Amino acid sequence: MTIVDRIQALADHVFGTLDEVRDATARLAATTDGGLRSTDLARLRPLLFERLGPLIAGLGFIALPGLLPDSAWYLEWWQYDPDGPPKQLAAELDPAQPTFYDYTQWAWFTHPQNGLERSICGPYVDYLCTDEYSLTFSVPVLVGGAFVGVAAADVFVRTFETTLLPALKELPGQTFVTNNEGRVIASNTARWISGSVFRGSPAHTTQPIGRTGLSLVTAR
Amino acid sequence: MRIGREGVMGGVDHRHAVFAPLDNTARVDAVVRRLADAIALEVLADGEQLPSESELASQLGVSTVTLREALVTLRNKGLVETRRGRGGGSFVRTPKPGEVGARLYGFSIQELRDFGDHYAAISGAAARLAAERSLEAELALLRRTLAQMESAASPAELRRLDGRFHIEVAAASQSARLTREEIALQADVGLLLWLPYEEADGRSVACLHREIVAAIGSGDGETARNLAERHIVEAVERLVELRLRAT
Repeated sequence: MTIVDRIQALADHVFGTLDEVRDATARLAATTDGGLRSTDLARLRPLLFERLGPLIAGLGFIALPGLLPDSAWYLEWWQYDPDGPPKQLAAELDPAQPTFYDYTQWAWFTHPQNGLERSICGPYVDYLCTDEYSLTFSVPVLVGGAFVGVAAADVFVRTFETTLLPALKELPGQTFVTNNEGRVIASNTARWISGSVFRGSPAHTTQPIGRTGLSLVTAR
Repeated sequence: MRIGREGVMGGVDHRHAVFAPLDNTARVDAVVRRLADAIALEVLADGEQLPSESELASQLGVSTVTLREALVTLRNKGLVETRRGRGGGSFVRTPKPGEVGARLYGFSIQELRDFGDHYAAISGAAARLAAERSLEAELALLRRTLAQMESAASPAELRRLDGRFHIEVAAASQSARLTREEIALQADVGLLLWLPYEEADGRSVACLHREIVAAIGSGDGETARNLAERHIVEAVERLVELRLRAT
C-alpha cells in the first residue's frame, strides 16, 4: 500500500463512519412522527458510542439552528474517554448568554452547509471543546434534499500522525502531509513539523490525495 | 531512555511513588482550577446554577467527596454560593470590579511584576509563533474580534472580547500548551490586569490590537512578539501604579 493509499484509507474510514451517522440521522428524521426533537437524537447514541475510540475522539450530529422544535440550537456530540463511558459536550446554547457557542461560525459547519460533500477542517487548537490540536471531519445531512445539519468527527493530530508515521518513516526522502491551505499535519522530518505552514517551494513536489483536500509533499 | 529494574530514579521505592495513585488533594485542586477558570472566563455565567453534586461529580469523573471538597474551596474564594432549601443548590458568583480591586491589595508589587513576566513570556511567544504559522482562517477570526471590539456595548463585553482575542492569538500559534497557559493566566490575573482599563473605550483597545494583527498578518514574528509583550508590560505597570497609590 502506498502512503497516498494509506492516507486515503484513513480518510475513507472516518468519512465512512460519518456516512453511517448521516444515514442514521436522516432515517430518524424520516421515521419520527411530528418532526425530530432533540430527545429523539438520543437514539443515535448506541452507534456513536460504538464508533468512538482512540481514533475518533469526538462524534455526533449538529443540528441546523431552528430545525428542532424543542431546542433551536443543539448538538448530539459525544467525546471518547479512555477511562470511562463517553461524555457529552456541555456547550452554552442559549444565544442570550455571553458565552453562547455559535457553531454555525465554524468551517466544519459552513463547508457542508454550502454543499461540500466531505470536508476536513484544521489542524486547529480546539480550545472550546477538548483543548487538543485537532482535525474535524464533516459531511452534510440532508432530508428530502434539504440541509438539516452536519455529521462530524474529531481526530486528534497526534493520533493522525501516529497512525501514518510508520509508513512515512519508510520513505527515503523528506515527506509530509498538508491540508488544503498548506498546514502540515504529519511529517517524517523535523524541518516540516505538524502545525508549521508549507507555502510552496520549487524544491518540493505536491501530490493531491484524492478529493480529501489533503496533499502529500515530497522533497525533490 | 530505558528504565531498568533499579530505575534511573535510583531504586524501587521511587518507582513505587511514581506509579502510586494520584492523591485526593491533586484531584480536588484540578476540579477547583477547572471551575475557577470557567468562572473567571465567564464560561459559567454569574448566577448560573451548577448541576447537582452527583451529576457534576460524574461529569467531571471524580467522587462526590472530592467534588464537595472542591466546592468548599470555591465557596471560600467567593466564586460559588450555596443556597439551602427549595430552589437551593450551588450558584456561580462572578467577582465584581470592587472585589477585584480588593484582591489587588493581596498581592505584593513583586508578585505583580512576576505575573507580568510570566504572562509577557507566554503572550510574546504565542504572538511570534502566530506570525510564523497563521493562515487566512486564523486572521479572519482575529479581524472579526477586532470589529466586535470597536462596537462593544459595555466594559464587560470589551473585557470578554479582549480575552477572546488573546486566546485566538494563542490558538493561531498552533500550540495547545501555549493556548491552555494563556487561558489559565487569564483566569488567574485577567480580571486584575483589566482593572486599570475599566473606563477604556473599544476604539482605543481595538487600535492597539490592530497593530498586533497587522504584524501577525505580515508574518513579522519579532514585531508581533514585541507588541504582545509591551501590551502586557504596560498593563502591569498601570496595575503596579494602582497598587502603589493604595499603600
